[in-house]
Amino acid sequence: MDNKISQEKMAQLEWYITKHCLWQYNSRGWDRLIQNERILTKTKQILRGENAKDDDTTADRYYWSEAMSLQGAFKRYFPWVAEMSKEDIAQILDLLKERMDHTMVHASLNQELVKEKY
Amino acid sequence: MSCNLKAKDRVGVINPIFTCQPAGAQYVSIGVKDCIGLVHGGQGCVMFVRLTMSQHFKESFELASSSLHEDAAVFGALHRVEQGVDVLLMRYPELKIIPIITTCSTEVIGDDIDGVVIKLQEGLLKTKYPDREIHLIPIHTPSFVGSQISGYDVAVKAFVEHFAKKEAESNGKINLITGWVNPADVTELKALIAEMNVDATVLFEIETFDAPIMPAGNHVGHGETTIADLQGTANAVGTIALNKYEGGKAAKYLQDEFDVPAIIGPTPIGIRNTDTFLANVKKMTGKAIPESLVRKRGIALDAIADVSHMFLTGKKVAIYGNPDLVIGLAEYCIDLEMEPVLLLLGDDNVGYKNDPRIKAMTENVKFDMEVVTNADFWELEDRIKNKGLKLDLILGHSKGRYVAIDNNIPMVRVGYPVYDRAGGFRHPVVGYDGAIWLAEEMANHIFTDMEYKHNKEWVLNVW
Amino acid sequence: MPYHQFKVSECIPERLHHAVDKGADEDLTDALPLGYLNTIPGTISERGCAYCGAKHVIGTPMKDVIHLSHGPVGCTYDTWQTKRYISDDGNFQLKYTFASDVKESNVVFGAEKMLKKNIIEAFKAFPQIHNMNVYSTCATALIGDDINAVAEDVMAEMPDKKIFVCNSPGFAGPSQSGGHHKINLQFLDQWVGTGEPEIYSKHVINYIGEYNIQGDQEIMRDYFLRMGIQILATFTGNGRFDDLRCIHKAQLNVLECARSAEYICDELRVRYGIPRMDIDGFGFEATADSLRKIGYFFGIEDKAEQIIAEEYARWKPELDWYAARLQGVKMCLWPGGSKLWHWSHMLKTEMGINVVSVYTKFGHQGDMEKGVSRCEPGTLAIDDPNELESVEAMYELKPDLIMTGKRPGEVAKKIRIPYLNVHGYHNGPYKGFEGWVRLARDIYNCVYSPAHSLVHLDISKDEIPTDKGFATRESLSDVNLSDEIKNSTELREYTGDYDPIPRLRKKLEENQYTFPDPVTGEWRQVPLETIKRGKIVDVE
Repeated sequence: MDNKISQEKMAQLEWYITKHCLWQYNSRGWDRLIQNERILTKTKQILRGENAKDDDTTADRYYWSEAMSLQGAFKRYFPWVAEMSKEDIAQILDLLKERMDHTMVHASLNQELVKEKY
Repeated sequence: MSCNLKAKDRVGVINPIFTCQPAGAQYVSIGVKDCIGLVHGGQGCVMFVRLTMSQHFKESFELASSSLHEDAAVFGALHRVEQGVDVLLMRYPELKIIPIITTCSTEVIGDDIDGVVIKLQEGLLKTKYPDREIHLIPIHTPSFVGSQISGYDVAVKAFVEHFAKKEAESNGKINLITGWVNPADVTELKALIAEMNVDATVLFEIETFDAPIMPAGNHVGHGETTIADLQGTANAVGTIALNKYEGGKAAKYLQDEFDVPAIIGPTPIGIRNTDTFLANVKKMTGKAIPESLVRKRGIALDAIADVSHMFLTGKKVAIYGNPDLVIGLAEYCIDLEMEPVLLLLGDDNVGYKNDPRIKAMTENVKFDMEVVTNADFWELEDRIKNKGLKLDLILGHSKGRYVAIDNNIPMVRVGYPVYDRAGGFRHPVVGYDGAIWLAEEMANHIFTDMEYKHNKEWVLNVW
Repeated sequence: MPYHQFKVSECIPERLHHAVDKGADEDLTDALPLGYLNTIPGTISERGCAYCGAKHVIGTPMKDVIHLSHGPVGCTYDTWQTKRYISDDGNFQLKYTFASDVKESNVVFGAEKMLKKNIIEAFKAFPQIHNMNVYSTCATALIGDDINAVAEDVMAEMPDKKIFVCNSPGFAGPSQSGGHHKINLQFLDQWVGTGEPEIYSKHVINYIGEYNIQGDQEIMRDYFLRMGIQILATFTGNGRFDDLRCIHKAQLNVLECARSAEYICDELRVRYGIPRMDIDGFGFEATADSLRKIGYFFGIEDKAEQIIAEEYARWKPELDWYAARLQGVKMCLWPGGSKLWHWSHMLKTEMGINVVSVYTKFGHQGDMEKGVSRCEPGTLAIDDPNELESVEAMYELKPDLIMTGKRPGEVAKKIRIPYLNVHGYHNGPYKGFEGWVRLARDIYNCVYSPAHSLVHLDISKDEIPTDKGFATRESLSDVNLSDEIKNSTELREYTGDYDPIPRLRKKLEENQYTFPDPVTGEWRQVPLETIKRGKIVDVE
């Protein structure tokens, strides 16, 4: 997929997350990276029709629930999501994860992200 | 059959009637023009006092905090007072007076606010604000001493002590120190003395606490007592402090320091105490009591005649709140043939037992009556629920509302704060108008109660 | 995203970085207000203290607990009857408050002995209550009273009593948020894990960060129970002390107000492996998404979808009646710490309201991240606002209404801006589907108040309209409305009760819910007593 188009589509998905989701705001940076990784990876897997359940833990089930909810919303909001190829989905979701890591962690201005304790 | 005074015998408080000293000082502070109190302590000590004020008046009032945080609690927080004063002065160009009001925390850590006031006067005020009239007034109100009542008393004295300045000439006015009252009380008091052509310096001018919405906008409510008013208190022909415990100290100070004769009390609640108040004004000023007040008084007596010996007589009432208010209400209730069987005073002031008004009650009432000091609401509720106290009416502020609600006892809201009824501050309890409002309000509450309980409600089919 | 310079704060430059104007095409990495820093003295900030954050906000909603503050009487007086967190068993927590009433001699000689007497007195006055929270205050923290030792002492003497000691004096942090933090972790450390609950459903959650303001918790509880989910405990609205001791046994923490209660969720995740799921119970879409997520977690999506369908059918036409009339309304959304992000986007999409400013009194940068993200470009975001800044903002932004606290609401009133109480609510509850309609209804009644429409008329200068004896709300709200909407037979005004909570309580009392058996998965009724007061076995 053309880079510009994938950026545009990624931005739409990002818009949805910023308006509706809360999982990206955990209070510590390391925590946010894990949330982004687990939830967006599973979202990608589900959208690509792959198995998104790693194990039987409640933690895994939690990430999967967020991912299920997110992929459902993506399809509801953006009909193009259902029509994309697996490769394009991967490309866009990887961009999205990169973008979320950037804004929410690496370039974040939130001074509390680096605190050690909750 | 007798009246006893005793202190609550439990150590703790279950549902407090009073709050602590800084609240009283803050209430004084908002009555003065161009004045914003800076409370030296945690932020809650201001935030909640402002909230209670706005619940009572449905208005907002300005009070600032030095915002004590952890480091300051450990290392001392005087620098936060310095910064607070500067920030207030920079941002409020009209501001002239900053009382610095202490709390438990800053008294425990021992911050020397008197010292910091001197430091600011010598330093910041001279260098940064050389051409501006600024008054910093240290007011010590540790929360673990006294109560909101003594806090009010201490603060009135602190303001008067700071400003009162003797001139050669008398200003021909009386000082009228109202105590902790509502705007409508001030209106009634001013109306009474205006009829006698007496000019007064009212501490404090708070009628503006009932502030309007104006088409061009308005800001927040604020009192109107000026620096000139406070300065002039030393040159009055006399001081009448209506409430012994809320302003009595200032009256005594003016007498001791400037030979301004003081009359302290009685709280002019009811006909008899209002009569005494007018007699005191007459004595102090030589002005006659005019026919118009005879008429005003007559209207009140007329109203009382309608309700007293048919409906109010024999009704057992419990009264709680500010001591002068409670005592005044009790006296008036007795005049109305009611039986104030329980008075609750919410602090441990040892002076109550020697108060002549309480003594007079202990010596003269013919029904069982208790006066409890250092009291809380459990003293009331426990007597009702567990000790067989039967009441027809409760008089007090909104914090006691559940005692009335859960025990099906009608309650007339008086005092501070009243937030569960609309417009409480708009009705006077003092003066002849206050006497009318109280008698009729009590009667109307009893009527409603008769109707809810189907207790001879048919009496009112014809009246 | 440029920082916003208030004219009134030019003289205190450190305030500059506490407010931003959200620009188009800018994100959180361009600017973010500072947050949760020490307050500048004398600014007339709206913040409270760490004691009230612990005791008043989080501690007191616990319903079967004696709440005793160890200090002078004022702290207790102030934090009594100034909130609307109700409970379903008689409102003990609203009606009673306890102060040790520290006096000067106690400050000098110590107040531990009198505290002990106090605790015993309070338990004796209310023998049916077996739990107590003791809160330290500035004074007793500074004199160094060992409250924990006193509590241990009493518990040894009165073995059927449990005491939680909350050490969060007023000065412990920049705002009430310091107290949220402290009480979260202290309750966890002292009491969580000491009880073994009776598990009656296959699906078990804790509902965290929910305080049952006007019945919010009971609205949401109805949805959870309809899904067959056991709520082990709510932290803390309508919550029982004993239930809260068992929250380590849940499968999932459903977190509503992250600002006040994320700490306990995060620690439960670390210590007990319980996942934290943040939800939004405000707004139709947000509530539906939240129920869906929980449904996915337990494999009961169908149950969630059924509730969502039922609730939409019942309430959506009522929401839309108001939404049609609220399009373009300008609001300042000025709450404490969480509603700026819970509400702003849903107000926009579901009611058409433009939130022109958000602020947070005691929030952290994390709350601003959420709040700013969920607002539209052009929104002014303010951290720790002070009196003059708020006034300047109101005059500049000229909102149609402001959602804020009681006292700032009185300031707004004088600027002729009507207000709704965002903390205790006007006519809540506001959570869930019905609650959201109630909020829309309250906003509508506020904005289109016929009496309010008179405040701008200056009878001394303006032409006085003399042709009307009254105006209706509709005459003000329907001016630009199409006939299609005006005459719609689908849309309707709110048809619920003045108080929706008694209906929900009746439902519970009538035991109308079923749950899947923890072992067999078979759906069946559970004894009411088990749902309301499940047996707790003490464990060491």
